[in-house]
Amino acid sequence: MKTSKCNLWIACGIALVAILLALPGRLPGQTAAAQFSGGNGASATRWSVQIDPVNPGNLDVAYSFQIAIYENLVDELNKTKQFQQVFRDGDVRASEFPNLLVLKTTVEKYTPGSETRRAVTTVSGATKLTVRSQLLTREGKVVFEHTVNGDVRFFGSNLRATHNLAHNIAKTIKQSSWSGSGQPTAILTGQL
Amino acid sequence: MDRFVVSRSHSEAYHPDRRHALWLSTVLICCSLTAPAQKITQRGDTSAPFSTRATHLLGFANARNNSAGTLSVQDDSLQFQQNGRTGEKVKIALVRDVLLGEESKQVGGLPMTLGKAAAPYGGGRVVSLFSHKKYDILTLEYVDSDGGIHGAIFQLTKGQGELVKNELIAQGATISSRQDQSTKESAAEAGHENK
Repeated sequence: MKTSKCNLWIACGIALVAILLALPGRLPGQTAAAQFSGGNGASATRWSVQIDPVNPGNLDVAYSFQIAIYENLVDELNKTKQFQQVFRDGDVRASEFPNLLVLKTTVEKYTPGSETRRAVTTVSGATKLTVRSQLLTREGKVVFEHTVNGDVRFFGSNLRATHNLAHNIAKTIKQSSWSGSGQPTAILTGQL
Repeated sequence: MDRFVVSRSHSEAYHPDRRHALWLSTVLICCSLTAPAQKITQRGDTSAPFSTRATHLLGFANARNNSAGTLSVQDDSLQFQQNGRTGEKVKIALVRDVLLGEESKQVGGLPMTLGKAAAPYGGGRVVSLFSHKKYDILTLEYVDSDGGIHGAIFQLTKGQGELVKNELIAQGATISSRQDQSTKESAAEAGHENK
């Protein structure tokens, strides 16, 4: 009798521990699901994105840099799988998609570096880029806005800064709480 | 001077001629050795396709990034053929813009970088001072069949970018009013390297 009581307590203890272990594992899963669906339980709309050419603003950014940022953005946004389709600027197929966002990139700061200077001094010669990224709906409503940096400090060519920048933009869009539900409550701004 | 030549014996006067002949033959041999290297970019016949060695940095059709190969203008298309692979083609009529830039890069790639890092007493830094080379950066903008804009960047030996650009223009590629950035970029680069 005493042994069966003891076994019952042990069983209860194991069950309690199992519940406690299972609960924290389940909560993040729920949060992720909520984020993906916009947090309102509604089914998430898959959005497509069209990437506009980089606007150099009034800065003297090398044309090869502008093209490299644009091409790297296409690659990096495709990799995130956040969007149903990633269109290039001018793609006629984009007009067929009702849920289309436009990614605008404006260069705010550009520091041209030198690969030789980096190799010789290590501490100077970095190529730095700071851009403002905006996701806009067809109606021109800004749903996402962020200032993102990209640079190359030690090894690699100057164009590597554009790859790092595009990677950071894609990462920021992925990590942002912009849900893709199409009805943002507020414009998300920030800096990475 | 005349007196000097007259005072020498016949056999002594013969030596400078032999030396000149030796020099001339050495120069000719050197020229014949360097000729095949230049052959790839020379155009004896105007109908022969233009081609040059290039490194594809990014964006051209389905070519692999940072791959070396041959960039050629054949018929009505621009082709990039990676070593040992089939070529990627873009019709010249679809090229919307061609721009030329210039960039100074470290040579030797990863092995050289590792070697420089391993060199004691900062020897690698000294090597870096001299192990850079200027390249032409050729930037193209073209459209695909759906109208989407693509950009491609090639790195070429200095002087070759201008030839490719001229060839593309001759074949009907359009260029915008944007100016080449070679002068500006090289000035900025020189400014950085002189600091």
